[in-house]
Amino acid sequence: MLSFLSIPSLPLASLEVGQHFYWQLGGLKVHGQVFIVSWIVIAILVVASLLATRNIQRIPQGIQNFMEYAFEFVRDIARNQLGEKEYRPWLPFIGTLFLFIFVSNWSGALVPWKLLKLPEGELAAPTNDINTTVALALLVSLAYFYAGFRKKGLGYFAKYIQPTPVLLPIAILEDFTKPLSLSFRLFGNILADELVVAVLVLLVPLFVPLPVMLLGLFTSAIQALVFSTLAGAYIHEALEGHGEEHEEHA
Amino acid sequence: MFDFDATLPLMALQFLVLVAILNAVFFKPMMKALDERNDYIRRNQVEAEERLSKAENLAKQYQAELAETRRQSQSVVAAAQAEAQKIVAAQIAEAQEQSRLQREQAQQELDQQKQEAMTTLEREVDSLSRQILSKLLGAPV
Amino acid sequence: MNPMIASASVLAAALAIGLAAIGPGIGQGNASGSAVEGIARQPEAEGKIRGTLLLTLAFMESLTIYGLVIALVLLFANPFA
Repeated sequence: MLSFLSIPSLPLASLEVGQHFYWQLGGLKVHGQVFIVSWIVIAILVVASLLATRNIQRIPQGIQNFMEYAFEFVRDIARNQLGEKEYRPWLPFIGTLFLFIFVSNWSGALVPWKLLKLPEGELAAPTNDINTTVALALLVSLAYFYAGFRKKGLGYFAKYIQPTPVLLPIAILEDFTKPLSLSFRLFGNILADELVVAVLVLLVPLFVPLPVMLLGLFTSAIQALVFSTLAGAYIHEALEGHGEEHEEHA
Repeated sequence: MFDFDATLPLMALQFLVLVAILNAVFFKPMMKALDERNDYIRRNQVEAEERLSKAENLAKQYQAELAETRRQSQSVVAAAQAEAQKIVAAQIAEAQEQSRLQREQAQQELDQQKQEAMTTLEREVDSLSRQILSKLLGAPV
Repeated sequence: MNPMIASASVLAAALAIGLAAIGPGIGQGNASGSAVEGIARQPEAEGKIRGTLLLTLAFMESLTIYGLVIALVLLFANPFA
């Protein structure tokens, strides 16, 4: 299916979509290029955190200052969604979601992975792979179910038939559309960005793709923000219950 | 492009591990550091507010003392002025008294001298009238 | 691959993107217009309005992205090929 998009006569760039660098792990196939980049992302995050918290000063300096800014940013996301009382236990999850997606997206846009040749496929942002985004979205689903059960036990299911049992199918459908839209939004945005850049590079290799790349950086950051904000909103919804109860708390 | 395989669960596991690691090395220390800093700032602020109120109290006290002192000094000045007034009045009264006494004495002396002059004048009138009589009558009476 | 299916897939992909861009385009225009109006009315609230606007635009944009995902499925992972 790829043949009509990649033009073989132009040696400057070519589009590779849907090709993966497979690893065999005891009968299981995994996408090697996704894991390589995600390990780099994880290493960046862990090293930056270690450097920032190794020697915490009262008056922050250098990398500690920067990481404190990042921390306060994700804390504000979690606090705005979950409220002052509830956000603390969920901060690591939502914060890590944001940081991982953000660094992944920007690593895909900023690092010239094309210089590293793989036998098959190419290195790109981990969020460029549907497996990653679906994994993250399913984790968000699990997280809000866990939050609901933790808070209300089996009473959590009451929200499906409140205010009226007529809406039961829609309420159940919502649980499927949430991870679906979360994962497809992130996947589609990142993939679309990389495809647009690739097509432009294919047509005009110099300078013209730069504004689109900048737009891609912006979109990637916004998508990380949207993903973590929505995760927080879903968890909050599970914690608070439905509709009218929410109004009381607000 | 849409081939799901073992990447999905492994990525989920890996992400959970990342959450645990970042929780330990990033979120907890940062949270602690920020809380401690907030505490520190709040404590300092409370202390500063205490010091400020103390300073304001002191300033008020000094103000009060200053006002008291000013009032005392005013009363001292007033007392001194009254004293001086009294002394002046007394001296003026004394001087007036003295002058009055002198005037009275002078008057008395004057009166006395007048009296004396009168008596001598009368005596002389007597003798003169006797002489006139004797001259007129020519003969001693 | 059957040329009939291939041509139908390409057409469907184009339609998916094109139709999916109409609604969000109108919505984003409305949202941006209202945001500009809000900023003109209350320039001191610009930061807040801009943040909300960007988030909202991202949500609308994702609707087009769903169309794009369908188009990509049709082009690169066609279940009928």
